[in-house]
Amino acid sequence: MLYINCPHCGMRSQNEFSYGGDASVKRPELNKEVSDQEWDNFVYNRKSLRGKHLELWQHISGCRQWIKIERDTATHEIFRTFKADEEVA
Amino acid sequence: MSLISALANVHTTGQFGDYKSKDVNDLLKISEIKNLLIVQIVQYKNSSVLFDSIDIDGLKLKNEPLTVVFNETTRIMWNGPKNWLLISTKKNLLKNILDNFKETDFAVTDISHSRAIIEIEGKDTIEVLKKGCPFNFDTLRKNNSINSTYNGIAFTVDKLNENPNKVRLFALRSFGESLYHSITDASLEFGFESI
Repeated sequence: MLYINCPHCGMRSQNEFSYGGDASVKRPELNKEVSDQEWDNFVYNRKSLRGKHLELWQHISGCRQWIKIERDTATHEIFRTFKADEEVA
Repeated sequence: MSLISALANVHTTGQFGDYKSKDVNDLLKISEIKNLLIVQIVQYKNSSVLFDSIDIDGLKLKNEPLTVVFNETTRIMWNGPKNWLLISTKKNLLKNILDNFKETDFAVTDISHSRAIIEIEGKDTIEVLKKGCPFNFDTLRKNNSINSTYNGIAFTVDKLNENPNKVRLFALRSFGESLYHSITDASLEFGFESI
């Protein structure tokens, strides 16, 4: 079982969270011409990295907030957690 | 209109589990709490109104994790950032809340009808909770509350007392019976009195 340090609630079990996908994906800018390739990349194409990965999770059985987690997809080690609106350096 | 409580079909009084040869005072006490006012208060993300000046039954909201602000009749639990659950025996408090919280800044919802509440009291209370909930209850102090899961059922724990431990568990009304069965099953080994 993973333990995730929710930036709002503190250390909680993974059971309370729900995975929400890659947090590094940026939506194409609004009111701009978007190519099919750009839209495909935004909606479907993922790198599925082995190693450090920035992910979205929702603390669905806790504070119900979306958060970002920096996690190693190979070892499952969690390095840092951020609030959803925090910029990751 | 007559009200049917959330656990009316499952909660029966008596002594159950391993209660024989034990002092009645040492048994867990499990009861259903009903007829409370339950109100969810959420401040909208784009609202910048200061909520710490708003008075509810002499209490002020606190945006701090785990925190419960309380008096004899009312408890306000932190449920998430700018999100609180108010529990009160004063049913007429709702009007006061609706008057104080402007609807352009806050969503105030009366959810009194949609929660099942189980109260557990006794020294083994935390052991019962540990059996189905992954939260580290050693860190939960008196007048703290958390949201978590019990055997997969989302629930809220409000710790009312320590020595003896006393907690209130809130679940969605439709999951109330399942939570009740989970809690009473977990309590059998300690012996419990249903009151």
